[in-house]
Amino acid sequence: MSDLDTFTMLPLQIDPQTKALTTTSNSRALQAELAALNSFHRSLLALETPNQVPPPPVPVNPKRSANVNKLRDSGSAEYRKGKYADAVKFYSLGLQMALTRPLWEPQQLVREEIATLYANRAQAHMALQSWAEGAADGEASVEAKRVGNPKAWWRRGKCLMEMGRLAEAKEWVAKGLEMESEESELVAMLKDINARLEEKEKASS
Amino acid sequence: MFDIDWMSLALPFAYISVLGGSLYTFSTIYRKRKASENANLEPWFPPHLQRNIYLTLLHMEPEAGQEKAPKVPDSVIRAALLRRAVEDIRRIFQIRTSKQALNTLLQRGSVGDDLNQRFLRAEREIQEELKDVMSEANALAPGWGQTIFQSANEIFYNTQLRADLEEIESRAAADKEWWEKKRETIQKEFMKELDQESSTKSSTKGVSDDEGVLVDSGTPAATPSGPSKKKKGKK
Repeated sequence: MSDLDTFTMLPLQIDPQTKALTTTSNSRALQAELAALNSFHRSLLALETPNQVPPPPVPVNPKRSANVNKLRDSGSAEYRKGKYADAVKFYSLGLQMALTRPLWEPQQLVREEIATLYANRAQAHMALQSWAEGAADGEASVEAKRVGNPKAWWRRGKCLMEMGRLAEAKEWVAKGLEMESEESELVAMLKDINARLEEKEKASS
Repeated sequence: MFDIDWMSLALPFAYISVLGGSLYTFSTIYRKRKASENANLEPWFPPHLQRNIYLTLLHMEPEAGQEKAPKVPDSVIRAALLRRAVEDIRRIFQIRTSKQALNTLLQRGSVGDDLNQRFLRAEREIQEELKDVMSEANALAPGWGQTIFQSANEIFYNTQLRADLEEIESRAAADKEWWEKKRETIQKEFMKELDQESSTKSSTKGVSDDEGVLVDSGTPAATPSGPSKKKKGKK
């Protein structure tokens, strides 16, 4: 933009009470952007930093991490006691707390917290035999942390196997092996899946 | 000595002047054409929405019926600038990922030079845009210029992460329904098998019935799920 000197004037109006921005235009992109801007603005207003600008990503206030860890530990305690539904509840609370963190805090931290929470929740679901939720949680955990997360790969693989989706399970475990390089449990699981696929072939043929 | 024969020098001079004139004309016209082509190149990115919002807010005009422009609070302007920074980060990310691919394609000759020109122009524009945002940030809050891009970076990645997680959650809901239905059908077939087994065997054997039924029902449960899975297919 040698036209950094020009811009397009958009039809925006500001509501004097709520300070929200609205527009008369029909453009959906513009309206979506304004909605995002308004919610962003509200989250900024809660800041206590000087000038109300988001602080630099590091250092981060440890309060939320402490809460998330506490919830995760209570979840693990319930799991060990055998109260799986309660464990799921605690983990879900922890996830909620981790995900409602302000967006300008470091994403690496968010990913770490979320990966463990999802993996543990997947384990609790598996104990309850809710394979579908367990598979979804395993996938979410892997999404947050692909490398160094062998448990999550294994858990989703197991859930897929239990649901009978063997081909998907095979693909998934193969991908997991690429990431985790010869993790022994994953290798064993892959052999198991192949064995089951073969006996299914034999049974149907 | 000044007896120069102008007449016979006319032709060479004419030749030289025509030559020089045509070279000059050609070069100016060519350069002008190149410059106008460059200026008329299609931009790489669509119009920068966040930037337009930000600048509109800075230059708000009074509405019909008001005397002066509505006052836009600073916090709104800061929010708008931050959104603009996030969009810039997204564009930089796109440029970095495309640069490698574009260079490979160029080397192989699969794309023309105009694509490269558009790309280089986009790169230059983004650099200027970044400097502009930094100076605006410093104007709005002292020292913000350095941290705004760090914050914008984290916001960008966090938004992506949350979008991915939401997609997985939505698929999870659909998956759960599918699994519940499947589980029901498996159980129904299982019960049917049990009924059949118990009705055929009840007349003949006695206590060993239960074990027989239990052992057999292990495999029928697996095989109905096999063919029924094939029928249902994969989503």
